Amino acid sequence: MSDTTSITSDPAKEPVEQKALWGGGRSPFTISYGKFMMWIFLLSDTFTFSALLIGYGFTRHSFEGNTVTPWPTPDQVFNHFPFLHGMHLPLIFVSVMTFILMFSSVTMGFAVEAGHRMAKKEVSFYMLLTILGGIGFLGCMAWEWAQFINGTEAGKMLADGSVFHGANLHLNEYGPTAFADLFFIVTGFHGVHVLSGIIINSTIYINVLKGTYEKRGHYEMVEKVGLYWHFVDLVWVFVFTFFYLI
Amino acid sequence: MEHTEEIREHMEAPKDMKKQIWKTFWILFVLTVLNIAIYLKFLGTDSPIKNYVFITLSFAKAYFIIGTFMHLKLERKSLRYLIILPVIFILYLLIIALTEGSSISFLKYIYK
Repeated sequence: MSDTTSITSDPAKEPVEQKALWGGGRSPFTISYGKFMMWIFLLSDTFTFSALLIGYGFTRHSFEGNTVTPWPTPDQVFNHFPFLHGMHLPLIFVSVMTFILMFSSVTMGFAVEAGHRMAKKEVSFYMLLTILGGIGFLGCMAWEWAQFINGTEAGKMLADGSVFHGANLHLNEYGPTAFADLFFIVTGFHGVHVLSGIIINSTIYINVLKGTYEKRGHYEMVEKVGLYWHFVDLVWVFVFTFFYLI
Repeated sequence: MEHTEEIREHMEAPKDMKKQIWKTFWILFVLTVLNIAIYLKFLGTDSPIKNYVFITLSFAKAYFIIGTFMHLKLERKSLRYLIILPVIFILYLLIIALTEGSSISFLKYIYK
């Protein structure tokens, strides 16, 4: 089996003498400093996103018994698709976004894999695809936000008799104020992560084209930004679940 | 750079990485399609079981993303536990926060 041989040949799995491992002079985790710090950063980011999503769960649970302004069900809010005006299509557009981000994660994985083989052309090609995927996702996000902010034609009747369309931080037609606020902060924070991911990926892409890593002798930077990019995808899995499915 | 040599030796990845990435992608694809299928099938019904299914599926997806895409399966055991174990605190906060939220709802709207 090629599978087992490839895993046992992995240096992280090889036994190292305990003294040598923790005695200093080398990483006890057998990864470089930069990659280790990226993991620690991602762990702290996990806590930030968890806090936001748990805040969402808390707020939503505290609205369980509210019958005046009940928490909206996602299929009544996120049911639009570009060019298909007026049709009730819950979840479809968000699923498309999910697949775009998932696929850009795959191309990032290919870029990392090509980096191990020092294949500069392949790394740059897959990095470019990843950046395009990220931009595509962000574009879809912008459309989703525009749809959410502009609202539906029906809108919501306010106490003074006027009709309010869409959403802002004080008022929205879908449900409690906290619903729109949490939507903006959670998907916005994730969107900022995607945006910074695109900027970081572009920087690395330019460096790959310039041959910086070719000269350095390894493509570890691609691996580090790869970790970040996969993490953005990972967070989206949970945002997707808690905002759009449940 | 003196660390260059050291980094090189840790960068070896499995030879069939590309195949594994494709495999993981298809697993994630199927899980997401399953998510959407369950969602559309039971649209409008409100049951906690459905939510637990969604949460289980998202954790399954997280396992494949972290394990294969982020190579955590191939790292040392110490690093694996360092990254995975702190998630216990998140689950702890989650349980308290949701319980508290339900309690607020009960006191505010139902019990009065």
